[in-house]
Amino acid sequence: MAPRLQISQLCKSFPGVRALDDVSMSVEPGEIRALLGENGAGKSTLGKIVAGVYSRTSGEVRLDDAVLGDLDEKAAGELGIGIVHQEGSLVPQLSVAENIFAGRQPTKWLGQVDIRLMRERAHALITQLGVAIDPAMKVAFLSPAQAQIVEIAKALSRELRLLILDEPTAALTLTETEKLFEIVRRLGRDGVSIIYVSHRLAEIFALCDSVTVLKDGRLAGTRKVAETTTDELIRLMVGREVHLTRAASARQAGPVVFEADGVSAPPLVRSASITVRAGEVVCLAGLIGSGRSEFCEAIFGARRRTAGDIRIGGAPVDPQGPWDAKHAGIGMVPEDRKTSGLFLGMDLVNNIAATVLSKVSSGANFSNTKAERLAGGFVKELRIATPSVRKIVGELSGGNQQKVLLAKWLAMEPRLLIVDEPTRGVDVGARSEIYRLLRGLAEKGVALLVVSSELPEVLALADRIVVMAEGRTVGELPGEGATEEQVLRLATRFTSSVANVREEAVGA
Amino acid sequence: MSVAQISQNEAQAPVEQREALPLRIVRRLANSRELTLFVLVVLLALAMTIVYPHNFPTGPNMRAVLLNLAPVGILVCGMMLLMIAGTFDLSVGSTLALSGVWGGVVAGWWGWPAEAALLVGVLVGAVAGLINGLIVTRIGINALIATLGTLTIYRSLTYVTAGTGVTPISDSFAEYGRTADPILRIQSPFWAMLVLVLVGGWLVARTRFFRQFYFVGGNPRAAQLSGIRVDRLILIGFIIMGALAGIAGVLGAARLNSAVVNAGVGIELKVITATVLGGASLKGGEGTVLGGILGVLFIALIENAMIINAVGVFWQGLVVGLVLLFAVSLDRFKTAGRG
Repeated sequence: MAPRLQISQLCKSFPGVRALDDVSMSVEPGEIRALLGENGAGKSTLGKIVAGVYSRTSGEVRLDDAVLGDLDEKAAGELGIGIVHQEGSLVPQLSVAENIFAGRQPTKWLGQVDIRLMRERAHALITQLGVAIDPAMKVAFLSPAQAQIVEIAKALSRELRLLILDEPTAALTLTETEKLFEIVRRLGRDGVSIIYVSHRLAEIFALCDSVTVLKDGRLAGTRKVAETTTDELIRLMVGREVHLTRAASARQAGPVVFEADGVSAPPLVRSASITVRAGEVVCLAGLIGSGRSEFCEAIFGARRRTAGDIRIGGAPVDPQGPWDAKHAGIGMVPEDRKTSGLFLGMDLVNNIAATVLSKVSSGANFSNTKAERLAGGFVKELRIATPSVRKIVGELSGGNQQKVLLAKWLAMEPRLLIVDEPTRGVDVGARSEIYRLLRGLAEKGVALLVVSSELPEVLALADRIVVMAEGRTVGELPGEGATEEQVLRLATRFTSSVANVREEAVGA
Repeated sequence: MSVAQISQNEAQAPVEQREALPLRIVRRLANSRELTLFVLVVLLALAMTIVYPHNFPTGPNMRAVLLNLAPVGILVCGMMLLMIAGTFDLSVGSTLALSGVWGGVVAGWWGWPAEAALLVGVLVGAVAGLINGLIVTRIGINALIATLGTLTIYRSLTYVTAGTGVTPISDSFAEYGRTADPILRIQSPFWAMLVLVLVGGWLVARTRFFRQFYFVGGNPRAAQLSGIRVDRLILIGFIIMGALAGIAGVLGAARLNSAVVNAGVGIELKVITATVLGGASLKGGEGTVLGGILGVLFIALIENAMIINAVGVFWQGLVVGLVLLFAVSLDRFKTAGRG
């Protein structure tokens, strides 16, 4: 029997970049194949070519032994190739049902959309996924996880032969991820082939049959999941050994630099307290939606605080906005570096100088020389790989962008630096580099508050772990010797229902 | 391989060779909208000198061109600042008329000294800008809608204030708009524009305070989280824009010794055209005052060529529109090549 999908010598060039170079692979019917690689390895590009989003430069793609010509997304959909995009393809102003059947709404006479039939079918599709979402609801009101489920329902609304999932779990919680896996496994049993694009190794071991690794647009290898190990996959991805193990920490924590007591910022932060000492790395752990990022924003003045005291070096501060926090010596590296962190269209010099305009000026004059010297210093110190300090930041790799973002905040010499998801979208190599930088900062006496969703990261970095759940700080663990299980147990101890009951008890 | 070795490899990216200074300057200029525009302006002026030797390079024609571009030139400084910050103001034409009329009322009807009238006119403009800024930053209405609203409101206030206008205003007031320098004999609005462009250009390009506008336009959320007071800066930008419209308004009224209620109708589109031509982007974060003024000059020359050539007024909009679309599409190619 012919394989479901057969790719031979596929190449794809973008102006100035060879995104895919001579890649061949084949997927059997019903097989769940992971596509793994660092950022920029070409895995999303491969998925998009198969789904007709991009055209290929050369090479051949066969579906059930039939050669695919140059097709667009619509033609690919009609052949039974579905894709769930990383970025999302839903129109927020339209209803769930309308999004699912975009352009293919069932019609009555004169081409009127048969709204009832459409909603019924949408309802059936969503129920099949084991969740309840009202098909008449506007997509704008959905949570990211619900939107992801609608995306999948949209792909499932056709007869599928091949489904491509591009980083589908980025916005999902653990339970939602588990639900998604069940759906994917069932599709596989029904004979649909799945290409599962991801860089989360744990998911691949939990879900997939086999894994194809790409590195720099080339095929690095294909393995059966049952016959491989994490170490081997990482070696294939990065072409070298990488250790994410914990550095021996013999640091002496200094005096308390930062205290937050009973901070509330409804609705997501209810009562959170934390202290951080000089030279200490405190990690804030918790499930998605537990209010970690929001707590940090409240400390930084980027979110309105309704209660709680904040002290820096013992002196009370009351930040009304990020500028106040900055003057008090607090820096914050936000979670989403593209939308809230960097000025992507500007060069390194301007990005790094953004927090310290007064430092790079003589009187009222902005000094380009001073700013360039400042940026040059950080390029060297943080080993940012860039041809020039005048390079546009949007053109750097994810890891180097993250370093620029760090540099921007290091430039103001913070006493407390909050880092929200320090390695999101950063590849494995740059990751250990960023850990090294953060540890180095702590050794210099900066108080660090790190938010992370990735438990291995928390365990590798933290001197102390503070766990949040339901907008409250619920427990604390020493970083040395803590296990993932301990953290998770704290984070899930108060589920929604328990917390509500507690609240009612307090109210009564 | 150890972690340290990896990072060393990563750091061994090619380091840009420092080229000789003249070469660097040429390279930098070749990439700039300002240079492109400057070359176009010079070429256009040369071509017109050759084709119309008796009409174009004459004293009266030059003086007329420079004087006519003065109000647009003054407004372009403020519009450039706003567009750098990622916003804009459609109400400038109405603000200009309202300020001019208030200058006229104070000097002509109330008989106050000319200086007080000028001051009142500029203040009226600044207040109009302040109101725009408050609507945009405090109420959070998008600048397009907000200033579209005030465009009609301010124009209506102009009619309410002075009916059909104030004519004549007063001789001492008119002095301020008519005084010409002894050598080139160009009247004061042009010189006011020149001073504003030079000072504005320096402020926007060089000072720390105005530098912040680029960050606001580049990524407002990141600017906010970098400790830049985004809303306050946008508010200040609108006030500056309003005050500049006020200056243009009172000088225009003084030059004609008449506050016209229809002054500045449609000027906002001309100003935005020049600003975009000069290198601003609707997304913000880019542009220089120098580029803006070159845009103004370029449009003025094209209009002048058509006037000399006796091409009907009706055709001017078509040509200016085509030039704008052409200039912006050039940028599209540049970005595509980079990405």
